[in-house]
Amino acid sequence: MQQVRDRDIPLTGTADAGKYAWPEQPSLLGTPVKRLDGPDKVTGRARYTYDINRPGMIYGKIVRSPYPHARITSIDLSAAQNAPGVKAVVAWKEQGAEAFYQGDPVAAVAADTEERAMDAARLVRVRYEPLPHVASESQAMAAGAPQWSTSQANTRAGARQETGDLDAGFKQAAHIVEATYSTHVITHVCLETHGAVCEWDGDKLTAWVSTQGVNQCAQAFAQALGIPQSNVRVITQYMGGGFGSKFAPDAQGLICAKLAKLANAPVKLMLDRKEEHLDTGNRPSAFAKVRAGVSADGQLTAFDGQSWGTGGAGQGSNFPLPYLYQFPNRKRVHTDVYINAGTQRAMRAPGHPQGCFLTEILMDELADRVKMDPVEFRIKNAPKLAPNAMWIEYFQRGAKQFGWDKRHPTGDSTPGPIKTGMGVSAHLWGGGGRDSRAHIDINPDGSVVVKCGTQDIGTGTRTIVAMVAAETFGLPVSAVKPEIGDTVYPFSGGSGGSTTAASVSPAIRVTSVNALNALFAKVAPALNTTPENLVAEGGRVHVKGDASKGLTWKDACKHLGTEPVSVDGAWQAGLSSSGTSGVQFAEVTVDIETGIVRIKRILAMQDCGLVVDKLTAESQIYGGVIAAINFALYEDRILDRVTAQMVNPNMEWYLLAGMSDIPKIDIVLNNMPERGVIGIGEPPTVSTASAIANAVRNATGATIRSLPLHPHKVLAALEQQRAGGTL
Amino acid sequence: MSAKDERINVSRRDFLKSAGVGGLATAVSAAAVHETEAQTGPTAVGPGEVPVTLLVNGKRVDLKIEPRVTLLDALRTRADLTGNKRVCDRGSCGACTMIVDGRTVYSCSTLAIDVQGKQIRTVEGLSTGNTLHPVQQAFCDVDALMCGFCTPGFVMAATALLETTPNPTPEEARKGLDGNICRCGTFVRIMEATMKAAATGVRRG
Repeated sequence: MQQVRDRDIPLTGTADAGKYAWPEQPSLLGTPVKRLDGPDKVTGRARYTYDINRPGMIYGKIVRSPYPHARITSIDLSAAQNAPGVKAVVAWKEQGAEAFYQGDPVAAVAADTEERAMDAARLVRVRYEPLPHVASESQAMAAGAPQWSTSQANTRAGARQETGDLDAGFKQAAHIVEATYSTHVITHVCLETHGAVCEWDGDKLTAWVSTQGVNQCAQAFAQALGIPQSNVRVITQYMGGGFGSKFAPDAQGLICAKLAKLANAPVKLMLDRKEEHLDTGNRPSAFAKVRAGVSADGQLTAFDGQSWGTGGAGQGSNFPLPYLYQFPNRKRVHTDVYINAGTQRAMRAPGHPQGCFLTEILMDELADRVKMDPVEFRIKNAPKLAPNAMWIEYFQRGAKQFGWDKRHPTGDSTPGPIKTGMGVSAHLWGGGGRDSRAHIDINPDGSVVVKCGTQDIGTGTRTIVAMVAAETFGLPVSAVKPEIGDTVYPFSGGSGGSTTAASVSPAIRVTSVNALNALFAKVAPALNTTPENLVAEGGRVHVKGDASKGLTWKDACKHLGTEPVSVDGAWQAGLSSSGTSGVQFAEVTVDIETGIVRIKRILAMQDCGLVVDKLTAESQIYGGVIAAINFALYEDRILDRVTAQMVNPNMEWYLLAGMSDIPKIDIVLNNMPERGVIGIGEPPTVSTASAIANAVRNATGATIRSLPLHPHKVLAALEQQRAGGTL
Repeated sequence: MSAKDERINVSRRDFLKSAGVGGLATAVSAAAVHETEAQTGPTAVGPGEVPVTLLVNGKRVDLKIEPRVTLLDALRTRADLTGNKRVCDRGSCGACTMIVDGRTVYSCSTLAIDVQGKQIRTVEGLSTGNTLHPVQQAFCDVDALMCGFCTPGFVMAATALLETTPNPTPEEARKGLDGNICRCGTFVRIMEATMKAAATGVRRG
């Protein structure tokens, strides 16, 4: 299928690949290495953008549209300008412009304290002409619906794919399932809200930004502000969560820079929690009306899907459908729906959790029609086994480890209100590497500094940068100083698409090998040998095969004299690849009297090519699974259907799991060193929600075809089942 | 925003901030605070800056702040103690957790002026020199953190738990940590770290 072919990039090296190949017997790679910046984070020493306090710094605050759709008739900044402590005011929208959602930025102020900035923001007088709005997909798609924008229709034809012969496919089907499935909108809820600290020195800007891409931010600042990119420095030493929503300065970053210029003072502008929910992105909703056929022996024959979803005000909502499984004859037509709500942004495996849920619930319904075990049914219809398509193996191994043989048929028939069930689901993701550069200095005193303009968004990038260099130099991780999170270092891309490890690790490897060879050239004469005959391991540089003929790393570096080894390098093909697969199992209990779902345990089977740091890779799997538990059971961006106002723009009614909601989570991390580095941030979060939903179905016998699995929906599904069944 | 919008847009936090100390019962806006001052009852201070003295990690911190300033903001923006984080800013996520007179508080929902004379402990006060507190060490050892933004709050919550309940059952530990939220999903290892620190032993701070 399309998705599988596209990501099937083989590990074909360049001519140089052999020279830089990953070591066959690594001492560090694949082992659990503690996060290097752990001590800074647990002590509070780590300075996030939110924590940057500059001399003379003042505070910015944005004024936002309270209306979901309105024309701005006037903006009067005079009262705010004259308020105590105010140093700058700026209109962001022009008179006559439209505001498209609650929270659309309109103007901003900066004052000497944050409290005074909030006071002044209230004094900005904006006159609005409220315009008709749409608050949901169904409202927007209704005949004669109000328009979300005065210039653009509410819907746009989106992706359309057709393969095979649909009619023939349905003729081969012994059973056909027809149903509508859906997933909801969730927001990223980065704990560190979006924002920046901007400081000008003449026409040079230094911006501390809470971002997943320091270089993208620098470029965007330069373009928007009309200054050369060389005049912009972006710094992100620590970043409190992004999940795909933090690649650009956004309105708040540009406003911050403008306020700082006007006030001639550094400005901190961090969004508050409500602004974060309203205006920094979300995962679009997904709906699909599906007709699917299966043959009597359990072979998928046809899929006909009409899908739609909303990415808010003017943004698309595409997702892969059908997901992963092989429907030989299929058609899919998508429609993007626009509503008056904040715009979507990439969110951890964009599109995949939606496509996965919509397909995986259908898969269990189809399996029941042909009376097949869901695992067996999936094995029959999954792509054939390959290094980037390990599903069949994971289904088999996982079922054994999870105790799948103890799963009862759909509907727990044991007495009492607490029903138990198991579910399974599978996912894929691309990942893979791309251009990234690095610079390494080996100093005559033996110290090593690795510089790379990447950023650590919590995944442990800082640690793997040091690990790859330390592995190459035969040194402990602590002997390497990684310097990242700053545009003064060599270019590296944004941390998105699970590409960071696969981009950065090869760049560091190539640069380290080059640096080591330069060191060997200086050391070889002292050891009466040639550079090619030297190796670095165990903290020593010595002749191959004769550890006694060598020097400690420190003594070896003394041969550099006064000049350090100073080497640049870049990512090369051959050290990373693309395409990961995973399978997850879930066991849940459902209280059929209250509708409350509790998760007992999850098993996550996952690969990511060569595992760099086992400890942080596992943390990402735990994190992905827990994020998906939130998606499945708790979080939901709720818009009032009349006013289009978000009713839960906070953290007490926007529900997220706490410690008591976390089940037992087992991880099987399949290290595949021969595939090079791939990346793991996104895949583990894709299929958990589907496995949970299928487990709820197995427990209760009721099919809930939409997320989240809130108690009222569970009860409604049970009610519907009693009234005649949902199968 | 129109004048009408301003009136209806008084959030819980604005209310808390503008009400200041002693005015909570009757004040609904800055104007009402002045009315309260004219009446009998607890002496109202502010709304301008007033001297506030805090005892933070055993050191005296003298500030001049408006009474509406929270403990969290006072320390983060006026004392450069930025370890504890502002996340939800309304007492539901725990990232701002500090220990005041031995009990955890949400410092985002505590006014600085109200905790004068009390022993305030922030995450910066746990380690001694380069030696990490057992809870901090356990968090590092088992990778109980990712982006790290919730970490100071969790470290404080775990510390407070172990100071009062040195050998918690897993159930007690979960309850003790239920007031905090992590978005990266580090919960499994936070539990592991908390139990590990309990085994190491935490002395009463």
